[in-house]
Amino acid sequence: MKVQRRWMLKGIGGATLALPALEGLAPRGARAADPAVSPFAIFFRQACGVACAQNTELGAEPERFWPSSEGPLSATTVAGRTMEELSDHLGRLLVVGGVNMQDFNYADGHARGALQLLTAQGPVVEGVGGDSEANGESIDHRIGRELNPDGRDSLFLYAGVPNGWLGGPCISYRGANQRRAALADPRVAYMGMMGIDSAQFELIAARQKSVNDLVRGQMQSLMAKSELSAKDRERLDLHFQSIRDLENTLSCNLSTEQQMAVDGLSDGFASDNGDDVMKAVQAHMAVAAIAVACGYTRSVAIQVGVGNDGNTRYSNIETGELMENFHFLSHRRASHDSSGAIIPNADLLHHYVDVHFARAFKYLLDRLAEYQMPDGSYLIDAGVAVWCNDNGNGPAHSSYNCPFVLAGGGGGFLRQGQYINLGDEITIARMLETIGSAAGLRKADGSTIDDFGDPSLPHGVLDQLLA
Amino acid sequence: MPEPIARRRSYGSWAVVSSLWIGGCYNGLGSTAGGGGDGDGDAGGTATAGEGGDDAGPVDELPAPSTRIFRLTHTQWENTVVDLLGLSAPTGLSENFRTDPAIGGFMFDNQATVLEVDQTLWQAYRGAAVQLAEQVTADAAAMEAILPPDGGDADARAEQFVVEFGRRAYRRPLAEDEVTQLVALFSEAPSLYEGVDPFVAGVRLTLETILQSPHFLYRIETSNDVSGDVIPLSSWERASRISYFLWDSMPDDALLDIAAEDGLADADGVAAQVDRMLSDPRARAVVDHFHGQLFQAIKFPNVDPSPAFYPDAPPDLGEIVGEEFERFVADVVFDRGGSLNELLTSTSTFVNDDLARIYGLEGSFGPSWVAAELDPTQRRGILTQAAFLAAHATTANPDPIHRGVFVAQRLACMVIAAPPDGVPPVPSAEGRTNRQTVEDHTEQAGSSCVTCHGGMINPFGFPFENYDSTGAWRVMDAGMTVDASSDISLDGAQVHVNNAIDLVEALAASPSVHACYLRHWLEFAHGRPTATEDLAFTTRVGGDSLDGDLPVRELLIQITTSRAFLSRATEELQ
Repeated sequence: MKVQRRWMLKGIGGATLALPALEGLAPRGARAADPAVSPFAIFFRQACGVACAQNTELGAEPERFWPSSEGPLSATTVAGRTMEELSDHLGRLLVVGGVNMQDFNYADGHARGALQLLTAQGPVVEGVGGDSEANGESIDHRIGRELNPDGRDSLFLYAGVPNGWLGGPCISYRGANQRRAALADPRVAYMGMMGIDSAQFELIAARQKSVNDLVRGQMQSLMAKSELSAKDRERLDLHFQSIRDLENTLSCNLSTEQQMAVDGLSDGFASDNGDDVMKAVQAHMAVAAIAVACGYTRSVAIQVGVGNDGNTRYSNIETGELMENFHFLSHRRASHDSSGAIIPNADLLHHYVDVHFARAFKYLLDRLAEYQMPDGSYLIDAGVAVWCNDNGNGPAHSSYNCPFVLAGGGGGFLRQGQYINLGDEITIARMLETIGSAAGLRKADGSTIDDFGDPSLPHGVLDQLLA
Repeated sequence: MPEPIARRRSYGSWAVVSSLWIGGCYNGLGSTAGGGGDGDGDAGGTATAGEGGDDAGPVDELPAPSTRIFRLTHTQWENTVVDLLGLSAPTGLSENFRTDPAIGGFMFDNQATVLEVDQTLWQAYRGAAVQLAEQVTADAAAMEAILPPDGGDADARAEQFVVEFGRRAYRRPLAEDEVTQLVALFSEAPSLYEGVDPFVAGVRLTLETILQSPHFLYRIETSNDVSGDVIPLSSWERASRISYFLWDSMPDDALLDIAAEDGLADADGVAAQVDRMLSDPRARAVVDHFHGQLFQAIKFPNVDPSPAFYPDAPPDLGEIVGEEFERFVADVVFDRGGSLNELLTSTSTFVNDDLARIYGLEGSFGPSWVAAELDPTQRRGILTQAAFLAAHATTANPDPIHRGVFVAQRLACMVIAAPPDGVPPVPSAEGRTNRQTVEDHTEQAGSSCVTCHGGMINPFGFPFENYDSTGAWRVMDAGMTVDASSDISLDGAQVHVNNAIDLVEALAASPSVHACYLRHWLEFAHGRPTATEDLAFTTRVGGDSLDGDLPVRELLIQITTSRAFLSRATEELQ
């Protein structure tokens, strides 16, 4: 017997993917299941720094990324800068400079940046470079763990080649040394959350309940075995907690048109062609938008490229031709083959990569702005979307001034329409605590969080970013 | 009387002490502690303990602490489904499984402690189970393959199905209560489907359940009776360890039957089965998978020499070199019964016309692959074949740094410290040879680079300077004669080599290299990083591999009949 493969055969309930259009959240005028959407955070990660003003071995490079002045964002302050790509959303942006990471001994600037970016932690083992792991939970996971309904995992999405520096997906951690698996195919990510459009839902759910009851009993029996180590029991418990009875989450279904769009964008999710990767990123963003809109998750992390994004070749904005891989562009030197030649105008080409990311971020903001809530507000304003970077700049891959571009005020929690520089303090933990608090994380006494990341770092939400 | 297990240990508790620091560049044999194991032996047979707790291997070769639960890798899931359901081809359903994370730079895809089931994977497992159960029960031939004959009593047939299919799915006999639960579920099924034959409904729901059961998704080792210094595994647990190591799949009926007779309680019984299983095509796939990961075959498809430098390079060079690599490994290990020495030094390989041209072979060649003998003054073994050379080259030049790092780390098991942050790329040659450029860039006196590059990395990479980015032989570079000589440090001694032929001969004669190869096999076999406990085995069998020119096939028998493989440590991994 040969099993026939079909794409999108089954959603979580085992029902064939619903076609034609489904009832549920859809852009413009659609209704949410609840009268208001809870705050959320969507992280969009870029590697290798941005093309900003700096002096390199090749000379002075102009400012191409940051707004021209701090304070209110305007068409004037973003003119000619990467931020100009986000002009449609300037009033919702909070551009944060001076997000500085700790110089933990990762023995590699990319490991230090990528693994610290959402964890504010040093390495489990110091000085091992590409073999590094972060020593704590990432903020996206914490938001999901504390706020998601029914203990549902937050989404960790990835686009780019599956292997490479730092092992590919590397920014999301369940805990110290517990790197999370990412979902690479946007269609698979969607299948995991889509509702069941079947007249037989009750039978399907009843069958799964029978299966789950028996399997849960087996899991409990296993976990009760005294010979198991705590680690083994912990892994089995993760499995046990992952077993779910079926819910009819039709409000998490995309429209037929949206499903087709996701399908059409998804094929290049594991490509090294930047154009294909960015299409897959858009598909991930569409999935992320519906996921937060329907309350499936309060947190999504989207990673683009491996640890140093050293495989992806993005296209030249002017010519459309593929450039050298991003990592070498960011170094301004060599080429894909390290032959040593200086890449002409590499800082401009790096800027082109930044523009690709800005446009992708705009795509996310556009999607979030399409969802209108029953009270007339828009989804984008209920949460916060975060475009963040492992490094501050190109060749040096500085741990200072790592760009954090926030959009949406987290339901009025954050200032908007501003460019604010935090200065020289190590602010990564405080930045993540601020975002986490904007997404709804609170201490037991109801106050904002101040306990995230490495305890030795400065903590507490950043007052200057609050509305 | 069984001893309680009170001791617990975690990875990273030890480090091999036979190490040598050169400045900040550590070149001792690398080792971290680890563990790996699996299965549920509740209903299984019992192991017979010989002297020292079992009858396999020297008593000082103890197992390292390991996990007791081994989730199937996605490859193992696919293979197991094929074998369990009698399918004619892999389902491809595992393509919907999210990729497992790579943790801590572990070389292989089966690191047991990171193979988890999160919500996403649970959903995918569930979807696959539902689909498979639906399709199998809709196919008469598929049903016949998994069902006992119809003797007229549906209830008896249902129970027989649960018992027999369950034994294959769980890789052990089901306990009485497990049978009772599944039979009850079978009986409940007709009310849960509309328009489905009651018996078919029972089979379908049972399949859905079993394919989501932890006893299917994990190998689970529950043996806990200490004998001597170890906990011998039951024959059922041994059967699964062996089959998932050698086949990446479940035990076949023959192996399960042997386990049922407790026929794997002694090393001779194991050896007989291993010998049989190594003749199965599934073993070839595993050996290929092991060497593909060891030699970074994932890089082969990306081989892309620049047309500006190599206008005659075939556009599908990456595919070609990968094909040669697979054919060569399979030929050496299985068709020739060859050894590590042969992998490293053989001049026999396979070529098509494009590869023959790269190797400078004379004669008539076409697109078909044929056996060929390479010039022994230029080519010996896997390190002088195009796959390794082209995958460790830039599009313009040989890459002695990465060639050297590969040999030092993966073949000699040396530990090289991570490079400092912000290392600039190699500059342009500007009239210098590739070697001179790399030397000037990495071996400046007093620099932080020279410590590792001068003493470890470059000496293992420069001997390959006779091979360009396509793997073709060259004697000139930048108008100068290629200098491929080097002084390598191996087994505590300095060895002068004139070229790659000398280097591979030195590697093939090195106890460290043979021990290193065994070490990687143990990592793969146990699904964990190397552990201190491995050292005695890798030293002894590595020595046999060197002195006795043991075939790789024999090494696999040695591993599967070792104490470490057939038993568990008395400490639990934390």
